[in-house]
Amino acid sequence: MKKPKFLTVEELLREKKDYLELELLSGRSGLKNRILKAGVQLPGLALAGYMKKLDPERIQIIGGTEVEYLSSLKKEDRAKILTGLSKVSLCCLLITKGLDPPIDLKKHSEDKGIPLLRSGLQTSILIRRLINYMEEKLAEEMCLHGALLDIFGVGVLVLGRSGIGKSECALDLVTRGHQLVTDDIVRVSLLPPDVLMGTGFDLTRYHIEIRGIGIIDIKEIFGVASVQGKKRIELAILMEEWNEEEYDRAGLDSHTMEFLGINIPMIRMPVAPGRNLAVIFEVAVRNFLLKKEGVHSAMDLDRKIKSQLGN
Amino acid sequence: MPNKVVTIKNTLGLHLRAALKLVNLAHQYKSDIYLQKDDIRANGKSMLGIITLGASCGSSVEIMTNGSDAQELLDSVIQLIERKFDEEE
Repeated sequence: MKKPKFLTVEELLREKKDYLELELLSGRSGLKNRILKAGVQLPGLALAGYMKKLDPERIQIIGGTEVEYLSSLKKEDRAKILTGLSKVSLCCLLITKGLDPPIDLKKHSEDKGIPLLRSGLQTSILIRRLINYMEEKLAEEMCLHGALLDIFGVGVLVLGRSGIGKSECALDLVTRGHQLVTDDIVRVSLLPPDVLMGTGFDLTRYHIEIRGIGIIDIKEIFGVASVQGKKRIELAILMEEWNEEEYDRAGLDSHTMEFLGINIPMIRMPVAPGRNLAVIFEVAVRNFLLKKEGVHSAMDLDRKIKSQLGN
Repeated sequence: MPNKVVTIKNTLGLHLRAALKLVNLAHQYKSDIYLQKDDIRANGKSMLGIITLGASCGSSVEIMTNGSDAQELLDSVIQLIERKFDEEE
């Protein structure tokens, strides 16, 4: 189900032209070139002749040093370097600080169909903005059936089989002042190194289905403060039918669940009539926050018991 | 895990009432069902999930089922889609 993700140079220009102060200098025929990696490369060593690690899937950043170095070369040496470069089909070249490229680099880009862009930004600022944007664009993604809420500032992913009451619970939490990110379908993306970001889809955003009422728009009913566009997922709660299985009664053990290779804490929550889940979810989050601060109620109690018992 | 790619044939596509019919049908079975279009994968027992796919007439959707009555579920969902959700054209 996973598709290789990429960004074309054209897309980059269309979406971030102003933010990254970009302009296209040459190589228009390569605008459909694909950028496959979010990292960038400063091809200093490649320009000095060591081409082995030149990565065609990343944007090559030509900063002040690179321009100065290229300009310092004799014309024939520069031609040699450019011949070397042409063995790798680079996706894109990007000159920073509004610098003027050596004329033969421009010609090279035009001939080989490698878009040569120029940014008015300083190299360090450009790289930071560019990577931030590309990491989001090229992030690994998956779809999940569940709800995502912001409870006391913590992104809580609510999972469980269809009809178990996720939406009702979400609604209950919204009426208690928490925020809905999405219900029924969650798009999760991995922002390197380890952030799981959850959001909904435009068409059904902020809608939830409540049996007996139908589909409602939370933002319309409860106002803009009751929803949030996206949220980092930090905790998963798995709703299950209450059966004879053993549930965590002591809270001494911790469980995790894996999404896109990232483990996040998971709580298995048995559902039964008369259990006010919204309140229990809130307490679960408070407890999660305490644990993050290093306070672990169950373990602390266990320590006290042990010392009483003379251990 | 039985699965099949089908083409949506009713003029309106997977709109709300069609999704409702599909969900009601899916809930008669124990097995899980997922529908996938492009990179969106939705639970076939969730109405909001299904309409998120934005599957219009002519688009391909992959249906995946899993469980004890997976094949029966898959067959009846395919039938519903083939019957154009019993909608009048």
